[in-house]
Amino acid sequence: MADGNQVSSKLMDKIVYDDDVVKKFLFATIFWGAAAFLVGLLAALELAYWKSNLNLEWLTFGRIRPLHTNAAIFAFGGNIIFAGIYHSTQRLLKTRLYSDILSRIHFWGWQLIIVGALITLPLGYSQSKEYAELEWPLDIAIALVWVIFAVNFFGTIAIRRIKHLYVALWFYIATIITVAVLHIVNSIEIPVSLFKSYPVYAGVQDALVQWWYGHNAVAFFLTTPFLGLMYYYVPKAANRPIYSYKLSVIHFWSLVFLYIWAGPHHLLNSALPDWAQTLGMVFSLMLWAPSWGGMINGLLTLRGAWHLLRTDPIIKFLAVAVTFYGMSTFEGPLLSIKSVNSLAHYTDWIIAHVHGGTLGWNGFLTFGIIYYLVPKVWNNKIYSQRLMNNHFWVGLLGILLYYLSMWASGITQGLMWMAVDGNGQLVYPDFVETVMRIAPLYYIRFIGGVLYIVGFFLLIYNVWMTIKTAPKEEKVASVEVSSLAEKVTIGTGHRKLEALGAIFTVLLFISIAVGSIIEIIPTLSIYKYLPAASKTRPYTPLELAGRDIYIKEGCYVCHSQMVRKLPFDVLRFGQPSTIEESMYDRPFQWGSKRTGPDLARVGGKYPDMWHLRHMIDPREITPNSIMPSYPWLADKKIDYLSLRKKLSVMKRLGVPYDENMVANADIYAGNEAEKIYEGLLGQDPSLTEIKDTEVIAIIAYLQTLGKKTSEQGVSQLKR
Amino acid sequence: MSDVGQEKDKLIEDHEYDGIRELNNPLPGWWLMTFYITIIFSVIYFAYYQFLGGPTLDEELAQKMSVIESVRKEAQKEAQEERSENKLRALALNQDIIEKGRAEFVAKCIACHGDKGQGIIGPNLTDDYWIHGNGTISSILTTVEEGVLDKGMPPWKGVIAPDVIQSVAVYVYSLHGSNPEGAKPPQGQKVEYE
Ligand code: HEC
Ligand code: HEC
Repeated sequence: MADGNQVSSKLMDKIVYDDDVVKKFLFATIFWGAAAFLVGLLAALELAYWKSNLNLEWLTFGRIRPLHTNAAIFAFGGNIIFAGIYHSTQRLLKTRLYSDILSRIHFWGWQLIIVGALITLPLGYSQSKEYAELEWPLDIAIALVWVIFAVNFFGTIAIRRIKHLYVALWFYIATIITVAVLHIVNSIEIPVSLFKSYPVYAGVQDALVQWWYGHNAVAFFLTTPFLGLMYYYVPKAANRPIYSYKLSVIHFWSLVFLYIWAGPHHLLNSALPDWAQTLGMVFSLMLWAPSWGGMINGLLTLRGAWHLLRTDPIIKFLAVAVTFYGMSTFEGPLLSIKSVNSLAHYTDWIIAHVHGGTLGWNGFLTFGIIYYLVPKVWNNKIYSQRLMNNHFWVGLLGILLYYLSMWASGITQGLMWMAVDGNGQLVYPDFVETVMRIAPLYYIRFIGGVLYIVGFFLLIYNVWMTIKTAPKEEKVASVEVSSLAEKVTIGTGHRKLEALGAIFTVLLFISIAVGSIIEIIPTLSIYKYLPAASKTRPYTPLELAGRDIYIKEGCYVCHSQMVRKLPFDVLRFGQPSTIEESMYDRPFQWGSKRTGPDLARVGGKYPDMWHLRHMIDPREITPNSIMPSYPWLADKKIDYLSLRKKLSVMKRLGVPYDENMVANADIYAGNEAEKIYEGLLGQDPSLTEIKDTEVIAIIAYLQTLGKKTSEQGVSQLKR
Repeated sequence: MSDVGQEKDKLIEDHEYDGIRELNNPLPGWWLMTFYITIIFSVIYFAYYQFLGGPTLDEELAQKMSVIESVRKEAQKEAQEERSENKLRALALNQDIIEKGRAEFVAKCIACHGDKGQGIIGPNLTDDYWIHGNGTISSILTTVEEGVLDKGMPPWKGVIAPDVIQSVAVYVYSLHGSNPEGAKPPQGQKVEYE
């Protein structure tokens, strides 16, 4: 794109871009993308047909779902972000990346973390906090690699040859700063052993911090960096100017300022204090326009290039991606309205919403960028225009099947849960009936997933052939810039700010800090103000052991533990959950999806024998259940010894265990287990093998749910 | 160079990054209006619920539950009459009711009571002996609804819809005297059947 003014070359510096690292990140994107999609497909199949987990503990839904989400967000999403940021930043700043070494440490460090996730998540090493499941050693590794990325990026800004920062870079800065803050604050935890830790936050605090993180992972990992990529690749691919600079400024700042507040919309109608819920709702509503600002700027930039929609598949991918972004960011605020949320929350509607965003916006934008970048960095034409087109249509059909089936599933099941007849009774009191109704839709979703992946394999083949037929001699991408300091007008107002990288970054930090502080700080002292009447006792050692198994197996991905302040929840599950009930829960287990029933008050609902048989094979008790079987729980012995360490960490975190209990935690637990075992043996003398096995600990835990807080502590509403 | 067509006059001078230019189009009016409206709505909504006495979630729930409770009381009164042994016996003559009860029994009870009610973990439901109640449909209904948690029988009220629970009780009653294979030895008190 060099302009016509080639002056004497003595005055020109030649800058060679580092496209090798871009290539590496592109390969990683494609490789991990395939892995993330296939694991997602397996998870989808398991809900339709539970046996597809092959009765292997490593493949059960509870362990596979976190693997899928982490791989999709951080492996597929992460790598394309890095590829795109490194490629575009060099060109936008007319300089090579700050450090070749840091670029490579960044690349290999990130891939190692992904491999770590791939190994530890199926093994059940999980903190059970969504999109933050990885245990503490990996958390530290993520922080380190992220800092390396930040140094490399800001170093590049420091040596830039273009004074003003383009809007794409604003979004990159927002991403790097905010993700660092989110990750660090949400990961403050105390290790118990190499792959086990407890968070410093408990119950409602943990819930708020987690969803502040979780929501903003969507905002600052799946939205702002992709908007940045949009601002570079859409005008490049369409060869059109950005529609409105003014809109860029306004929607950027309003987006980053408002987004950070919206986390509590994941906790509507829950035990979270009302004021925080209301903030979460109204800030989500206010996000609608700033989000659409991005969509408008993207789509109107394409205006005037509409004819390309017919001829250029890249433009198709980009236009559809931006359209899905608009749909998702309209649906998001809608779902944040308390009444709509009471229908949609815990159902597949949320899953539909997420996948509209990820498959449509992140996925299609990524595909568009890959098709744009691969020919550029490998210096070849794309192998097949037709395959690109086929990918587009197959993928789009896949998204539509996915979205519509999960949308129908969510609304159907949500309405069934809500239905109360003229006698004040639930119309569908039997939970599994509502599961059976939507089960066929799980197959349709699966087909949608297959189509999406077929499309992706077309991409892989196309990219492969493009690279294979590329000219062998490397052509380095470079640009010539004047070695004399260029005269630029700094400008005033926002224009001036764009030339001041450091001040820009500080202002950005302040704008995300405001909402975070206002929402999180008051919650940190919340347990100090609980009424004395609402006594809650800590978990006994055996219950704690059971709880950690529950976390390890990922039961929370299917079961919530939060009876909301909604009549139909109360009719089905009992009195609404209170803050004090989870005050010793590290991590909290409120959950976000009810594939199975809420378990907040399951304690005492069934006999021990019922749980024993249900855990080993749910279908013995509930013939149509889609819950996995957990026979290995009745084989593996309880790890009694680790309990001393676990209790001592809990005690350090403020849980009122006495010294004696901590010192003899294993003995306490053994005695408790003995009692439950004797009771079961009394009913069935053939059960001698289950002595001291994990299933006993899980039963102890399940039987205590909803039973640890005195009656006054729970509100007076009766079933 | 960006392909700008007739928009040349809108290009902002100096704004060029790797060939990308920017236009100085104004903020779309409808967009700005949407933004203002959501902000105004949000301020009013927040003020109403947090400062101006709007109901809390607890208050809203209590209000809705009291409506449901009063409907339920009415319904319970009627249900009491429906539960008289005579009315239930009348149902026992209805094959459809028995079939409905059988389907639910298969779904919920055979894990413990066996496919023919012969008893596994739970007792034999077909003999003359009862631990709880006296073998009448209404006493079976009560046991099924309330359960015997300590002994391993779950309560089913609220899990199975009221009319279906009745059908299950009727079905269990209909099993009496069926003498299935592998029946568990008697438990509880012998009851004299007429
Ligand atoms: C794939 C989703 C899924 C996973 C994972 C899962 N469950 Fe379930 N669970 C269900 C479904 C569906 C039901 C309802 C049908 C049934 O009773 O089996 C259920 C029911 C239950 C019930 C009975 C609740 C009631 O009130 O009737 C308990 C207890 C339970 N699960 C415990 C667990 C535990 C403990 C784990 C982890 C070891 C677990 N579940 C993992 C889907 C799941
Ligand atoms: C988890 C196992 C389990 C399940 C499931 C179960 N029961 Fe029971 N049931 C028991 C046990 C154990 C007893 C004995 C209680 C006692 O000893 O007091 C019992 C007792 C009974 C009794 C009283 C018998 C007597 O002799 O007085 C009836 C009636 C009964 N069950 C009906 C049902 C029905 C109907 C269902 C299905 C809706 C059902 N049960 C499901 C375990 C179960």
